[in-house]
Amino acid sequence: MSDFKALSEAVNKGDTKTALVEAQKALDAGSSAEEILNKGLITAMNEVGDKFSKGLLFVPQMLRSAKTMQECTKLLQPFFQEGDVLSKGKVLIGTVKGDLHDIGKNLVSMMLEGAGFTITDMGVDVSPEKFVEKTREVKPDIIALSALLSTTMPAMAQTIEALQKAGLRDKAKVMIGGAPVTEKYAQQINADSYASDAGSAVNKAKALLGIS
Amino acid sequence: MGRSLPVFKPLTPADVRRIDQTSRQILERIGIRIKDDAILDKLKKAGAQVNHHNQRLRFKEEWLDKLLSRAPSQFTLYSRDEKNDLSLGEGEVHFANGGRVFRILDIANGGYRLTMLRDIARTAMLVNHLEHIRFYVIACQAHDVEPQHYHLNDFCNAFNNTTKHVMGGCDNLEGVRQVWKLASLIAGGEERLREKPFFSVITNPVSPLTIGPNAANILSFCATHGIPVTCASAPIAGATSPATLAGTLAQMHAEALAGVAITQVFSPGAKVLYGAVPATMDLRNIEFAMGSTEMGMMGASAVQLAKLYNLPIRASAGVTEAKRPDIQSGVEKSFSNLMVAMAGADCILLAAGMLDSGNSISYEQYTIDNEIIGMVYRVLSGIRVNKDTLSLDVIEQAGPGGNYVMEEHTVEHMMEEFFYPALSVRCNFDIWEERGRPTMLSRANDLVHNILTEREEVEEGLLDPDLLLEVRKAFPEIRNI
Repeated sequence: MSDFKALSEAVNKGDTKTALVEAQKALDAGSSAEEILNKGLITAMNEVGDKFSKGLLFVPQMLRSAKTMQECTKLLQPFFQEGDVLSKGKVLIGTVKGDLHDIGKNLVSMMLEGAGFTITDMGVDVSPEKFVEKTREVKPDIIALSALLSTTMPAMAQTIEALQKAGLRDKAKVMIGGAPVTEKYAQQINADSYASDAGSAVNKAKALLGIS
Repeated sequence: MGRSLPVFKPLTPADVRRIDQTSRQILERIGIRIKDDAILDKLKKAGAQVNHHNQRLRFKEEWLDKLLSRAPSQFTLYSRDEKNDLSLGEGEVHFANGGRVFRILDIANGGYRLTMLRDIARTAMLVNHLEHIRFYVIACQAHDVEPQHYHLNDFCNAFNNTTKHVMGGCDNLEGVRQVWKLASLIAGGEERLREKPFFSVITNPVSPLTIGPNAANILSFCATHGIPVTCASAPIAGATSPATLAGTLAQMHAEALAGVAITQVFSPGAKVLYGAVPATMDLRNIEFAMGSTEMGMMGASAVQLAKLYNLPIRASAGVTEAKRPDIQSGVEKSFSNLMVAMAGADCILLAAGMLDSGNSISYEQYTIDNEIIGMVYRVLSGIRVNKDTLSLDVIEQAGPGGNYVMEEHTVEHMMEEFFYPALSVRCNFDIWEERGRPTMLSRANDLVHNILTEREEVEEGLLDPDLLLEVRKAFPEIRNI
């Protein structure tokens, strides 16, 4: 039994190299992968989240911690056992058709991943058809759509319509975001949720799936 | 500091010389009226050309130059905590609040009231807390104190609420003497105070070209007791100096040089600041205009004139006619603060807390000005260009379509590369609505509340309780603090 102090510190600092060494040490010492994930990595990320909301950390620092956690999770992957609770949920994410902007979407992805979600990132300029196709394949809990331009916002509505026609709309929650997007627009196009920034995206995603 | 100052020079070198020549002619031909015969006698013995009949002191060029060359080009305004010592004459700019107003804006009820002794304590607390306001100037008149005990009470409250350097405008010699005694007691003796004087004195000539008995005697006392002093020329273009900016500068420069030169008669090497508060008049209605663009331009020019003699300067900026913290105050303050700072003034007074042409203060304005000054300091620190900041490797690593948010390079540089405002609203629209539509002013109000409650809840001043007992015993005129 370990308190994973050094691992937690490395995740807090976003020091991937040290974190990987510490995670390996914990495995060698006989800790289970699930234990390392839940008591080491996720606990550390919760601390990071707290510090961020108190203004003690900046977004880049939080994202680096999230990245460190991802790398450690990859290391642990082969050691997980059946029945281990590994993911808070699957999120399919992309910037909608006609829009090439991805920094906001990338931030949301990283934050969600840091919070324990499994992400499938489809990149930019993703057509409604591609979203439908990937939804069938991945079976996500949440489909997250991003747009920066007011001119590409309608593609969000088109994507939701396409999901509807394909009979997939009620298989997953849809959340949307991006600079011109509003709560009102989300209601208008029958999205399930809207997040105004990367931080609130995590809370909204958790709320959609009824988890904390 | 990225670039060495000045980065803004409103006057060409030829203009500076012409103004200086004119000022020297003013001092030689017209002279300064000094309304104190004893002081005039002292000056005469030291080689001045004095006409007792019209109380006129004239400066022959050689005598002027001899005196000016004695004035130190560098010295330090000491703090009581050693962390906030301010070096002058070394290319650093130090901002301070403005002093001796009589009214304060109470944001809670939107009205104004007369200032009290507690306002000195609170403004000193604010300045102690606000990092960009580097020293404290006695902010206001304590209407609840008898005039003969103003200075003693003012400074004692200031010392008890900030360890930063304290400067104050003084009316008379007796007041300065009382403060000097108080400061000596706090310092642990006259010699220790002389070694590291943690307070300084502002006095003023009366434009045009007059130095009253109080100012003259204060200069003499400060010079001989090692207290840094400034005799700040404050002409008003169009009223107490010519309507032309060049004419006002020439007269101001003459008055300021006279102040510096006279201190050097009393004590060669005395710590003195060239003092400049060149203001303007709006001649449409003869209204005082300290927030004018021209005041900023003249403030920056005054730095050029002081630096011609390598003198540390106490300049002025950040004043406004606005009656509340609003758009006008933001515009006027930013404009002049930036101009005078970019000219490389050693000290910039009036730059925090003031409204209403220097007649009023507001606690909120202190925090807003702290933020404006923070932005000015960011400008002064410049853009760092070196191999690391040019980031070629990082750009290559991110590649087309990549991003920099998570790069180690970003985390390494993000703190020093950007100024992070405490009051400006930067959140997105939805979060702004969620938070109740905050503004810079509402956030300033919150910050003031936090600073003052935090300090007042402690209910203890910064002076050691034993020392405070001694102070009270030695100075029964000081009210309970």
